[in-house]
Amino acid sequence: MITRQLGSEVRWMLRRPRTLIGLFGLVLVPIVISFGIWTAGEDGGGGPGLSAIIQGNGLVVPIFTLFLSLNLLLPLVASIWAADGLAGEAQHGTLRGLLVAPVSRVRLLFVKLFGLAAMSLFAVTLMAVVGIIAGTAFLGSDGMATLSGTTLSTGEGLVRIALFVVLVTFQMVSVGAVALAVSATTEHPLVVQAATMVTIIVFQVLGQFSSLDWLHPFLITTGFPGLVDVMRDPIPWDQIGDSTLLAGCYLLIGTGLAAIRLVTKDS
Amino acid sequence: MNKRKVTLAAAAAGVITGAAGLSLLAMPAGAGQPPTLPDVSAESLVEQVLTSKPGAFGGTVEVDNKLGLPSIAEIPQLADGKHSARIWTDGNGKFRAALPNGQSEQTIVDDGTTTWSWNSADNEVTKSEHKADQPRPAEDKSESVNPAEAAKQVVGMTKEFSDITVDGTARVANRAAYELVLTPKASEKTLIREVRIAVDSELKMPLRVQVLTNGTSEPAGTVGFSEINVGPQDAKLFEFTPPANAKVTTPEAKEERRGQKPELGIEQALQGKDPQFFGTGWDTVVGARIPAEAMTQVPAEAQGLVDKFTKKVSGAWGSGQIFTTKVATILIADDGRVVAGAVPEQVLFDTIGQVK
Repeated sequence: MITRQLGSEVRWMLRRPRTLIGLFGLVLVPIVISFGIWTAGEDGGGGPGLSAIIQGNGLVVPIFTLFLSLNLLLPLVASIWAADGLAGEAQHGTLRGLLVAPVSRVRLLFVKLFGLAAMSLFAVTLMAVVGIIAGTAFLGSDGMATLSGTTLSTGEGLVRIALFVVLVTFQMVSVGAVALAVSATTEHPLVVQAATMVTIIVFQVLGQFSSLDWLHPFLITTGFPGLVDVMRDPIPWDQIGDSTLLAGCYLLIGTGLAAIRLVTKDS
Repeated sequence: MNKRKVTLAAAAAGVITGAAGLSLLAMPAGAGQPPTLPDVSAESLVEQVLTSKPGAFGGTVEVDNKLGLPSIAEIPQLADGKHSARIWTDGNGKFRAALPNGQSEQTIVDDGTTTWSWNSADNEVTKSEHKADQPRPAEDKSESVNPAEAAKQVVGMTKEFSDITVDGTARVANRAAYELVLTPKASEKTLIREVRIAVDSELKMPLRVQVLTNGTSEPAGTVGFSEINVGPQDAKLFEFTPPANAKVTTPEAKEERRGQKPELGIEQALQGKDPQFFGTGWDTVVGARIPAEAMTQVPAEAQGLVDKFTKKVSGAWGSGQIFTTKVATILIADDGRVVAGAVPEQVLFDTIGQVK
């Protein structure tokens, strides 16, 4: 019963044209990045963060792409899916049918959350796979050079990429969970997207002011840069753990608020 | 209806847990109860610190720096603020340090015969092979982030000029430690009020060093482990192979390119050829004379930087510029004499006349 609901939710999401267009757009990112670095040529090298070591190091492309996308693109995609999930259904009038059906509303929420998580994982994995292919094709690869100057074997590199995919997906789902809470309160999907993106951007702006450093540990965006530690060797787990716990708190808050709103909603 | 209430309560509990979790994450980790340890005399503790041989360990070192130093491009970790580094040693001279700098990283590996220094921001490796009769500069740098070595040097140099006491215990990096306090004797003319060294109760290895200056209760500088695991480390950590796409250079080749960086002009200017030492203990003053041609070689931008951080002074000894931090003072006379020490400026004015 529940697997059928979960399956149909994901099928519904995949059938929407905007989902397909969105996925296509996401897939372009690693290709454009690889192509851009390839055309920049050999004089590259040096620079802040991952961009310094990406030349001739194709396996870094998926991590670099996801790391860049996490700041804006992936939250945007998560907010679109969260918006469609509840607000979109309310706008079409289909949410009423789901609410009066003899199915628990909590289960409805978890189906929506599952759809969000499954699609996020799918999108992030897709970007990573295309990144591996495009990076290897344009930049070549011989193992994976890390920020610490060590070179990992291709197998170890793929494990790092898989780990990064999981971490990024979790951040994305947490943003989506908060968006889902907004989505439960309105029937205008655009409101959900706008609210989520404004929050993410405002958080990032607040993160720039050192006079507000007491606020930074509360902002989910503070956790994003620390995920780059996956590319250090050996991996320091502190920041990765903190970022994931921070996102976990947002996931709890978002899911809880969405559940409260759904349960108390008049059908 | 009852089921609905249960659901609501569960959801509310989830929200509250999440909010509480956020606040917990935002709170700095507590130091924990100071452990109870058997009494130890200050003399024997100092003796044990100086003779301790830490052996192999790996850990994370945190540096909290409020010295008021300008940031130097080569060692951004020294600028004001909190920085962390990860270090590993096998206890026999092999060493690895990872110094994250934003999203970049500097790695220094000493595999016993060669010191490798990698900087991800330049995609460049500096390779220097050890020569038997030469000092190992890279090691000095890597050791400066190792609180155990730094503390040993401080204790060795100053123990005769200090009142040494054991002031309770502390928990550092989840290990029990004694707090060894070195207070400069009253006759010492120094900016430093006291140096507190947390000494591991089992290994007698310094785990944390805090420098306190006159007039403040907060330490001006803290170097200490936030995490440490003692025992043999993975041998692979002490090997280094430069990445396929990195430039590999030697320190000499790098030196030649250095002149272009203004900050390094000052650094070179301050490193006189033959340093002379005046006084003993805490108020030791280091003096040097920079050759006149080196003074004029300092590029204009470097001069601008010097002016920004110093103030002009003059006296019976001549005139020059003085650079003050909380723990040290540097006086550069216009004729090329330089003196520096952890002393108030008056001591430097009195000493600079002796620089040859």
